[in-house]
Amino acid sequence: MGLDIIMVTHVVELRNVKKRFGKVEALRGISFEVFEGEIFGLIGPNGAGKTTTLRIIATLVKHDEGMVKVLGYELPKFRNEVRGKIAYLPEDSRLYGRLNGWENLLYFAMIYSESKEEAIKMARLGAEISGLSWSDLMRRASEYSRGMARRIAVARTLMTKAPLVILDEPTTGLDVFSSYAIRQIIKRYARELKVTIILSSHNMLEIQDLCDRVALINKGRIVAVGTPNEIIVKAKASNLEEAFIRLVGDVSE
Amino acid sequence: MNKVYPVIWKELRDMLRDIRTLTLIASLPLIIMPLMGLSTVYMQQLQVSNVVVVDEDLSSINMPGLGNISSHDLVTKLRELLILNGFNVTIYNGSLPDSVTYDLVVKIPKGFMHNISTFTLKAYIVITKVLGSPKADFAETVVNYALSDFSKLITKAKIKYLSTLANVSVNVDVVLEPISIISTVVKPTGAPATPEEEFRVNLARLMAFSLIFVTTPSIAYINDSIVGEKERKTIEALLATPIPRYSIIVGKVFTASIIGLIAGLSDAISLLLFFTLPSLVYGVNVFAYMTPELIAVHVIAVYLSIFTSLAIITPIIIRSGSYRASHVASLTVMSLASIVFFMALYTDIDKLVESIRYLLYLIPYTHAVLMIKNVVLGYIANTITHGLIIALISLSLIALAIKLFSDERIIYSKT
Repeated sequence: MGLDIIMVTHVVELRNVKKRFGKVEALRGISFEVFEGEIFGLIGPNGAGKTTTLRIIATLVKHDEGMVKVLGYELPKFRNEVRGKIAYLPEDSRLYGRLNGWENLLYFAMIYSESKEEAIKMARLGAEISGLSWSDLMRRASEYSRGMARRIAVARTLMTKAPLVILDEPTTGLDVFSSYAIRQIIKRYARELKVTIILSSHNMLEIQDLCDRVALINKGRIVAVGTPNEIIVKAKASNLEEAFIRLVGDVSE
Repeated sequence: MNKVYPVIWKELRDMLRDIRTLTLIASLPLIIMPLMGLSTVYMQQLQVSNVVVVDEDLSSINMPGLGNISSHDLVTKLRELLILNGFNVTIYNGSLPDSVTYDLVVKIPKGFMHNISTFTLKAYIVITKVLGSPKADFAETVVNYALSDFSKLITKAKIKYLSTLANVSVNVDVVLEPISIISTVVKPTGAPATPEEEFRVNLARLMAFSLIFVTTPSIAYINDSIVGEKERKTIEALLATPIPRYSIIVGKVFTASIIGLIAGLSDAISLLLFFTLPSLVYGVNVFAYMTPELIAVHVIAVYLSIFTSLAIITPIIIRSGSYRASHVASLTVMSLASIVFFMALYTDIDKLVESIRYLLYLIPYTHAVLMIKNVVLGYIANTITHGLIIALISLSLIALAIKLFSDERIIYSKT
């Protein structure tokens, strides 16, 4: 009988991270880690600190206290090194309206690439990920529906094949069909491209459907971390939504 | 791949597809400068102005050497000159009726002809002018010119008469104007300046003034390009990419300066249109004075004025974050530029007292004005120096903008 040794690599590691904006304590010492290849969900009510956490990981915001490591690099010291290895889709991020879908992909591809050929190849992958037809890709982004625009935005992050992809509420404001399409894209290409994904969402079904592990965040603190099933069991709930409400407490607070 | 390239690539596409804004940018100077020409030259001529000449005297005298002259002769002279300058002229013999409306009244009172025929009495003309009419001011100038001419005619006749009585040989013109002024215009070096060069200096003032219209569109563009990206929710995704911050700023400033070049080109065409009108009206070939080096330096001054406007405004936009704050800051910069360019019309900056002059030297726009002035005077080295100063100030400010760039500030500032 042999012993299988599984190497688990931390793609993201947060230890007692605090962040304050004036008098508001946005993060009150959060800790969690994200492992290579997993889809990690961050769930919590509005103002819980999800976006601030993701912005810190995406190198855009500096934390006040604690330790943040992304792909082995400590932030904010090595943020330039990290930026080339992550792709981030902010909440409600829009496309450049006067550029068409293809150009929106190509612009970001050029930023991530070392040559024009590489950029075109990357943008082609983006076009494939988006699932939009060539005629749709040639239309100005200002003419897109929310769902089409979000497909491009998600494809724009995944096409980079960045080891870490951060998606802040990628399906917010979308109808059922569009949300489903986006989830399919994330699920398929996360595996195919072998990228690690952190995403935040309000949608418990989405989290349960997509994520290997989740962290529940409330009022700047991590309430629970684990697989969706572990959290459901821990909260003695029947589903993640019920677990969320039980663990977070009175949502009307 | 140089990371400035993708930003320029994207910004150019964005810009070229905003046809309405581009059209406005290109047409603004094309409309305004010729309109200014129209308002200063043509519109003034279009103003209707009524001049009334009242001859209360209705008398004539016999002047030695002139023969019989009457108040009617003076009225005729006034009438001819006023009509020639585009005035409506009405003549009244006797008195002015109450119902008559006018801009200027020239009254020849009773006893006028008698008084001018004597050697002891002064003759008077009474002018009444309506307040606030530039055309009436001009009519008064025309009347003064005609009266001065008439006065000289009488004086010459009197001198001639007296010299005959005294049996003294006189040159009437010398007695009348014993001092003659010989005026020479020289360059600051002391070398004589030709009338063409004098005209070109005045032309340079106007060219510097025209810079007012070129800075506005680029400032508006860079403002929108940076703060607008936040408002349109595209900046955050861009900031998380590996793009260096200097690439974002340099790419956006460069594209905005292209906008400026379009405005500059339009400004140059508008200047030509502006000069077309006086050329047609007065028959002066203004284009002959616009030498290739003057046009070239004007284009460079236009570009540098735009570049420096962008360089001043970018660090402010980067720090202000909000649309409102950056808009107010932009307006302030545009006002500053306008003050300097307007001042160029009336002030010789090099002749100001040292303290004010050095203070003005700190404002980059001053150097754009001085570039144009110096090329007209033939001081190429000074032109280049002022160009280098404005470029150096601008590059320093761009470096400051890169230094001040803060992701967190941009993300969290209110739009």
